[in-house]
Amino acid sequence: MVRLRRLIIALLALLAGPALAQPAARDTLTIGITQFPATFHPNIESMAAKSYVLGFTRRPLTAWDADWRLVCLTCETLPTLENGLAVRETAANGRPGIRVTYRVREGARWGDGVPVSADDLRFAWEAGRDELTGFGPAEFYRSAYELIVVDARTVTLRFDKLTYDFASMGDFQPLPAHLERARWEAAPATYRTRTAYDTEPSNPGLWNGPYRVTAVQPGAGITLERNAQWSGPAPAFRRIQIRTIESTAAMEAQLLAGQIDMIAGELGLPLDQVAALERRAGARFRYEYRPGLVYEHLDLNHDNPALADRRVRQALLIALDRAQIVARLFEGRQPVAHTSVNPLDPMSDRNVRQWHYDPARAGALLDEAGWRRGPDGVRRNPAGERLAIDLMTTAGNRSREQVQQVMQAQWRAAGIEARIRNEPPRVLFAETMSRRRFQGAVLFAWISEPEGVPRTTLHSDEIPRAERNWSGQNYGGYRNPELDALLEALPEELDRDERAQMFRRLQAIYAEDLPALPLWFRSDAHVWPTWLAGVRPTGHLNPSSLWAEGWRVQ
Amino acid sequence: MILGRLLQIAIVLGLLSFASYALIGLIPGDPIDLAIAGDPRLGPEDAARMRALHGLDRPLAARYGTWAMGVLQGEFGYSRLFAVPAASVLWPALGSTLVLLGCALGIAAAGGIALGVLAASRPRSGPWVDAVAVLGQAMPSFWLGILLIILFAVTLGWLPAGGSADEGLGLRFLVLPVATLAVANIAAYARHTAAAMRVALAEPWVRTARAKGASGPRVLWRHVFPNAAVPVLTIAALDAGSLVSGAVVTETVFARPGMGKLIYDSIMGNDYNLALLALLLVALVTMLATLAADLAQRALDPRLSA
Amino acid sequence: MRFRLGLTLLGLLVAGAIAAPLLGQDSGAPDLFNRYAAPSAEHWLGTDDLGRDLLTRLLEGARVSLAVGVATALAASILGTAVGVVAAWRGGVVDALLMRLADGLLALPALPLLVVLAAVDPSVVGLPRGEAASDMIRIVGILTLFGWVGVARLTRAAALSVLARDHVRAARALGVTEARLLWRHVLPALTVPVSVATALAVAGAILAESTLSFLGLGIAPPNPSWGNMLANAQELVFSAPMAAVWPGLAILMAVAGCTLVADGARGR
Repeated sequence: MVRLRRLIIALLALLAGPALAQPAARDTLTIGITQFPATFHPNIESMAAKSYVLGFTRRPLTAWDADWRLVCLTCETLPTLENGLAVRETAANGRPGIRVTYRVREGARWGDGVPVSADDLRFAWEAGRDELTGFGPAEFYRSAYELIVVDARTVTLRFDKLTYDFASMGDFQPLPAHLERARWEAAPATYRTRTAYDTEPSNPGLWNGPYRVTAVQPGAGITLERNAQWSGPAPAFRRIQIRTIESTAAMEAQLLAGQIDMIAGELGLPLDQVAALERRAGARFRYEYRPGLVYEHLDLNHDNPALADRRVRQALLIALDRAQIVARLFEGRQPVAHTSVNPLDPMSDRNVRQWHYDPARAGALLDEAGWRRGPDGVRRNPAGERLAIDLMTTAGNRSREQVQQVMQAQWRAAGIEARIRNEPPRVLFAETMSRRRFQGAVLFAWISEPEGVPRTTLHSDEIPRAERNWSGQNYGGYRNPELDALLEALPEELDRDERAQMFRRLQAIYAEDLPALPLWFRSDAHVWPTWLAGVRPTGHLNPSSLWAEGWRVQ
Repeated sequence: MILGRLLQIAIVLGLLSFASYALIGLIPGDPIDLAIAGDPRLGPEDAARMRALHGLDRPLAARYGTWAMGVLQGEFGYSRLFAVPAASVLWPALGSTLVLLGCALGIAAAGGIALGVLAASRPRSGPWVDAVAVLGQAMPSFWLGILLIILFAVTLGWLPAGGSADEGLGLRFLVLPVATLAVANIAAYARHTAAAMRVALAEPWVRTARAKGASGPRVLWRHVFPNAAVPVLTIAALDAGSLVSGAVVTETVFARPGMGKLIYDSIMGNDYNLALLALLLVALVTMLATLAADLAQRALDPRLSA
Repeated sequence: MRFRLGLTLLGLLVAGAIAAPLLGQDSGAPDLFNRYAAPSAEHWLGTDDLGRDLLTRLLEGARVSLAVGVATALAASILGTAVGVVAAWRGGVVDALLMRLADGLLALPALPLLVVLAAVDPSVVGLPRGEAASDMIRIVGILTLFGWVGVARLTRAAALSVLARDHVRAARALGVTEARLLWRHVLPALTVPVSVATALAVAGAILAESTLSFLGLGIAPPNPSWGNMLANAQELVFSAPMAAVWPGLAILMAVAGCTLVADGARGR
């Protein structure tokens, strides 16, 4: 028996051995993320995991940086009206348009040595304009009606509309024409399934970032290695290993066991889990909580007569102690939201009306709206209907489910009954929300760009309906003609101060009328090894990996 | 006999494929709706275009027809979740699961039979083995997995909490999942072996053999055990399905890539092609395993082949 | 001895489930100032991630899990007994068809199929989505689909052996009506095998329910069930490892209890 036990211990020690041995030189970095990219093609489907991986391996023309400024990555100079690279003109359709010129950075090359050229941009534009290709959002390509190749590295794009964010190219970026054009031309409709990005992702010619993909284990991990053709500052790590671990507990265990070095905040652990980790293993890692543009809120169905009453909406909001929830569940690390505009956004108005927890006032507002306490403590209107609403969120999201239960209790104290009904995200978003089949409130988040105009969530044209193939994200069915006019005028206003003025008005309407109930802005929790420096979380859709050449060992 | 069984398997697979196709069609939320909800820039035209592109505008039966014809011709379709042909995700996952199952089954059979023989031959240890067996069978495997993670990965830090090796077999990654999966089955094997051995030990010829002077262990292993092996094999045959089910849970708890996790992820991620293929493949493997165990059982026990 | 031990285990759980309200803790109300509290006189097992009393949640989970287990087992037993008796009674083609169906179901890996079934939109079959009662009905329905097989096989074997007995064959030859024969001779002989099978089915259903809930496809929070409490606890394994231990122990007790009762009943 004793011998057996000794044998087992020896065996276990043998197995455990390699985990304890640390590599002598730190030339590899292993990162844990919670999702596996569905594709590596930059233009097919948008998802955070793909953005994160492509951040290391590809460089778009432009991106928003960690200071929420628009910068050039593959281009040389950001076009502005002042520097002459952007010129206003009348578009072919007679409306005000603009032409912008981009020059690809000197020395930008694909991993096989072929220079990144105007032809790569032309190919991307042609493929995007062809409906059959199946690139996600086609609005950009519909608007960019002409692309002129000026020289081998320069293109001019003409747009049939003029918006203040004309310089941001978003997803439009060079695609390696020398590898992809033939595949696309053979049959655009099946290009999605034949693109080299998914059939041979380790082809170096697909990548123009500091790293390139060298191996893919579907669902499990991706190996990146230095791209020899990268002309920017040399990245510090020879190899970056990205591991997908969906279970957050397994992720934490692997971090503690040294199987992964860091957890990417963009796709990482819930904030409270990281906070708990910091309390237990504070010195072993570095932690950063970066508030971002993820707006957690309650969407309300405005077709529900109770919720159509502004006083009820206001009462619902002040019956919630958001400051307390943030302090207790999120360690006070997520800023309470007052409108959908993030306080860190340059367009945010600090003096916007703020609603604070005030149960007495909530009661008064509800009394005024005709909802009086019934015998069971739940309020009723004169017709005897109870003030009961469904409170939904994405099933399986523990943090939201926690919040939801606290809300239910706080509303109950105010005489409002909330029935919790949760659905998995794909049901909630793809059916219940987009078909507008919810009765009360839904807790979820929007993610936006800095200075983004919330048109798709607030404009009355964006209320999903069958004629529009259920597109649009104004799920609540909110209508406000003044806000509609503002949302239409805002993108076309080029003057920044004017725009700030309009944004102030927008926030004032939002805070007063409460189309949705603002909760807080989510913070990403990043966990890094103590020896890693230079990672700058952005807090928006452009991941920190876009600046991976600045990551260093200290 | 074999031909009949194979035909039966083919029929079951056909029915199963249609049933699961229809069921997966009933899972709410098609991929395009999901894409629209996830990306504000997708307009109404984009939605119609993408729906036509993915063939989602056609009725379910027509889609099933196309799919089934494709599969019969060896066209397994494309995985939406991993953006590669579904078959290319399937084979590595099947391999990984078979390794897990093989190890777990081997350990469970060896351990279970040893315990069962012990219980039958040393009456005093019987109740203890029984108690262990009851507990092992009652233990939810995901709970055992969590406990093992707490102990060996979190507290002691000896073994990885999950995942798989980047290359090679990854023995260290196998230990905890295999242990988790084996425990429940050890219990089952132990119980059934013990029962079968007790029956065999009571047979008159055992006493005859003992009387002739054969030593205890020799009687046990040469005479009694082969007789007891038949019921054990029966259990192996009947349990192939539950073993695979166990793998689903174990792979989920340990975030280990394999068929179980693939099925779960593809159903959750609305990946029709992959989910269907994975389901059918698992069903096929299970049924073949059952058949193999049946055949082995017949070979051992001439009474059954009559 | 086993029978008693099993009954004691189950009795404890049932008593706890019934007595849960007597503890005087409101399991629904979160207390944000008292999260992850250690066991104390007020909270015997401490509190969970929202400051709710763990013991109360565990006992309320017992109601859900035991109810699902018993309901499934009953449904599966009724269906399985009916199938088994019909197969044994009719014989021939009916028997062959029913038993092939049973074999087919038994050979299939149940859990992957349960995952598919559980993911299907409940509103398709007219159940409202996301409500506690419909969750339970849904789970019971799905588990019954696979649960009846074991009962049917046991029943059929037992019924066949009864029908082969001399006095039954004689009664049949004498023209005793089918109903009377079934009622007087066959069913009484089935009580033991069917109750053994039912007890085992309870165990199987509790395990299956907890597994589905653990995978997020069963009983949805905030309604507590042992499976979803474990799923929740798994995410918090580092902050509150004990929260993962209790629900598992409860499942272990319930399942072991049922198995022991079944074993004991068989041995009597």
